[in-house]
Amino acid sequence: MTALLAISCGGRVNVSGTVDSLPEIFPDYRDVTVPENIAPLDFSYSGTGKCVLTANGKTIRSRKGGLFVFKKSLWRKWMKEGSVQMTLIVKQNGSWVSYKPFNINVSRDRIDPWFSYRLIPPGYQGWQEMGIYQRNLENYTQEAILSNDLTGGNCMNCHTFRAGDPSKMVFHARATFGGTVVVNNGEVEKLNTKTDSTISALVYPYWHPSGDYVAFSVNKTFQSFHNHDENRIEVYDLASDVVVYNVKTHQIAWSPLTKSEDYFETFPTFSPDGKWLYFCSAKAVPEMPKDYKEVRYGLYRVAFNPEDMTFGDDLELVYDAPAEGYSVSFPRISPDGRFLCFTRHGYGNFSIWHKDSDLWLVDLTDLSVRPMAGVNSEDVDSFHTWSADGKWLVFSSRRDDGLYTKPYFTHVDPDGNATKPFLLPQKNPKEYYKKLMKSYNLPAFTTGKVTVGKRKLVNVLRNSSGTDVTVR
Amino acid sequence: MNPFALAYREQQQLFLFDKTYIAGTLLKVGGLATLLARFFVQFFWNPAVAMTLTLLLLALSAFMTWVYVKQSWKDWALIPLCVFPSVIIGASLSDNSLHFDYLTAILLVQACLLVYKAIKTRKVFGALALTVILYFTAGSAAVIFPVCIFARDLWKKEFSPSLASLVAVAACGVIAYLSSGVPTWSEAFTPAAYYDIDAELPLVHWAGWISIPVVIMACRLVNATHLVKWATFAAGVLLLIPAFIHAGKYEKKIDKEQPRLAYIFEHYTCNEDWDGLIKACRKAPWLPRTANYLNMALAWKGELAENLLKYDQRGADGLVMTTSDRAVDVAQAHIMFAMGNVAAAQDVAFNTVSSLNGFCPAMLKINAQVELMRGCYEVADKYISLLEKAPHYRAWAKEQRGFLYNDQAVESDPLLGNGRRNLQAENHFIMYTNPMTELFPILDANPTDKRTLEYGLCYLLLTKDLNSVKHFIEDYYSAPDSPELPRIAQEAMVFYSEYSRNMEGVVPFGFDWCYEHGVQPDVVKRFEEYKKAAVAGATALRKFRGTYWYYLVHTEI
Repeated sequence: MTALLAISCGGRVNVSGTVDSLPEIFPDYRDVTVPENIAPLDFSYSGTGKCVLTANGKTIRSRKGGLFVFKKSLWRKWMKEGSVQMTLIVKQNGSWVSYKPFNINVSRDRIDPWFSYRLIPPGYQGWQEMGIYQRNLENYTQEAILSNDLTGGNCMNCHTFRAGDPSKMVFHARATFGGTVVVNNGEVEKLNTKTDSTISALVYPYWHPSGDYVAFSVNKTFQSFHNHDENRIEVYDLASDVVVYNVKTHQIAWSPLTKSEDYFETFPTFSPDGKWLYFCSAKAVPEMPKDYKEVRYGLYRVAFNPEDMTFGDDLELVYDAPAEGYSVSFPRISPDGRFLCFTRHGYGNFSIWHKDSDLWLVDLTDLSVRPMAGVNSEDVDSFHTWSADGKWLVFSSRRDDGLYTKPYFTHVDPDGNATKPFLLPQKNPKEYYKKLMKSYNLPAFTTGKVTVGKRKLVNVLRNSSGTDVTVR
Repeated sequence: MNPFALAYREQQQLFLFDKTYIAGTLLKVGGLATLLARFFVQFFWNPAVAMTLTLLLLALSAFMTWVYVKQSWKDWALIPLCVFPSVIIGASLSDNSLHFDYLTAILLVQACLLVYKAIKTRKVFGALALTVILYFTAGSAAVIFPVCIFARDLWKKEFSPSLASLVAVAACGVIAYLSSGVPTWSEAFTPAAYYDIDAELPLVHWAGWISIPVVIMACRLVNATHLVKWATFAAGVLLLIPAFIHAGKYEKKIDKEQPRLAYIFEHYTCNEDWDGLIKACRKAPWLPRTANYLNMALAWKGELAENLLKYDQRGADGLVMTTSDRAVDVAQAHIMFAMGNVAAAQDVAFNTVSSLNGFCPAMLKINAQVELMRGCYEVADKYISLLEKAPHYRAWAKEQRGFLYNDQAVESDPLLGNGRRNLQAENHFIMYTNPMTELFPILDANPTDKRTLEYGLCYLLLTKDLNSVKHFIEDYYSAPDSPELPRIAQEAMVFYSEYSRNMEGVVPFGFDWCYEHGVQPDVVKRFEEYKKAAVAGATALRKFRGTYWYYLVHTEI
């Protein structure tokens, strides 16, 4: 095969051979499906030597380090065309050879324009800098919603939005300026959430679709470091329960079915119609942490009445993972209510440190369970959220280096079939991710930009004594 | 100023020749001052250089003050007065919670004062522009700028520039606060911006700020009143006396409050100067943390068991003193690494890297090495790439790069190969309840690790648990290819053999067992001499200092 390609600056490439494989590129955008409104997916050729790329008839020369940068206007044109076929041509032993072409498929399902996450060293106890950030997916803009250099270097975590609504947000801050912060249509409130009747302050949150309630777990959580295990860290609960917080009355309530000494209940989530409270529950083991590998969580639900904040009398088993020798964490239901996506792993609940963690789906119409084929990797695939329309899922994965989590996005069709996920695009992603010494933690879509000012959040955290949460 | 305390600053940051790092730092309020500080501090790995460089910068500060106040180059008499603020600033820098940006921010202020002095027309505009630039490059130290302009212009009765600058600095502070460029009003307008995050700023650090305009005003007063030059010079020198007394007293105060010894130990440890570390530890080897460093140095030299009792040991805490807070304890990371407990070392090292201001180079090195041991090359590559951007660590990092994706090279490297074998130990949580519970499985996985072996043996010897020492010797020193039994262990076994035969409840064993397990006949012979000396009394016992018998019987733990 011989082909002559003209490239910019008057250069000519005479392609004299082919390589019968796909090129190695980072990020791996080969044959991924992207939303039409995504920012350009710049990538780098992982091999060495000169290279050029042909994409939908356009020839592009690589920059330093094999980097291919796509102009915004060109990218938008490609997105309109519905698919981009790319062929990488490299110079090997003095001759130009082309790899097998690959496609970037374009979905007309637009992705929520913003998503938020915490950037934190993937560490064990220490941090100096961390923060909750938001990123515009249509370009490369990143902004801090709040960073801890403004709040005494404390820990902040568990930011959660009501169905992707950027005006309804909850997160926790710890240590000196600690408290749970609720952002509700521009109003910012700090809560003191430890009560005499609960084992801890409120932890893992999930908003009720009405915006009137937030389900939380309360956990006595510990963390240990393995000497020699593929999972470096073990985070485990010595006790945990699930409660529901009323945003208007500042009261919490629970059911005996969600707060039992014999079981560890955690990771609550509401169904999109608000009538069910799902959560994970494991039978308590005699000795922790000695028996940490024996703790396996199943998926349960209990009816919830938003009219009067009461619970049903029956606990329904949704997925008996322990019976199959597995454990479940992070249940999240698609906005149409059909699929529940969860993380499945061998034991315990903190799946982000378990290399066997994979994303699975429960079809809530028949309670059938299946892995998300094509999405999971050999390494950790864990915390996930659905986009507002349920067409996209973002999740955390350690697939690239085994330690630093990065956000991956996948398209999910109405039958629950997911496409090959793609990594959050960056300008020069290879360099960016290599330099980044932090993990992307708790990725969550929002339908718009979070506009509450940092100063407002800081002032509330620093200056407000907070409202005490009471028990109903 | 303590050169080792200055040197320790180098371990709390990592200056990178990297455009993202530089741009990211410059974009923050006071970013240029931070960047300059980090640039200078990167050379502080050598305490002499740290001291010299700091003194040069303080001299530069004094010189700039003089250039600002002098009316002609003949105004030499003002020099002692101009040195005064530098002495005060230098004293403040004794406090390691005060960042080096404190000094570089002041230098930027002084540079702007010189620019302002050179402006002949449109001084109000000049003062305004300089103030804004200064605020966003130097941070809250810009507050000094209008005061210094005022202090100089007062004599010309020219108030507009200082007033404009004052308004500008107030506006910049408000903007910085409202836009969350600074966390609090204090960080917007006071030296708290250069102090540890959310720690209370000691009042003394205001002195450096206040002294500059005061000295400027004093110099202008001298010029205006035409005082005799020698009298001015003498007054300036006299004024320096209380300044130096303050510096000395403050240094002593800080000495008591901050871990100066640890700074010295860390310096030698980070530079792997084991002889220097041993020398530094000799002064008080009985203090547990000092003994930790001392014994670590002996271990790296391969002399732990051989020379352990040459120093005043007071129990097993001297080998490793663990604390519950593993977040920022660099010593623990170094010691665990030396012990061969690389997972525990990484646990602490990772926390420390993330906890300190920027990156701690020594901890980053441990992390890179442990990732190489683990075979997690992508993560090791991240750390190595980072260190390659720091000139002082570039050569080391490039050397480590050779191990990436090369299992054979890692396994044949004495340090990395050993660490990889140690990681094969049976899994357990790192609890720190007892270091030995973590060393036994490591030794089972890699009995050839001499440092771990000696740490284990010495731990049991220092706890005086002779029965466990005996079992340890049976388990780890009995194979044909086992290393020679250290002399102190031989002494322990000879003693225990005799003891076992005379005490009820102890399984007796004779010298035959000792000989079979590596005890040399001369040790048995010397033990007989020791027994006679023990009966004779203290004077006779003196020559047995350094023996295990002396430690066992005469050292309280």
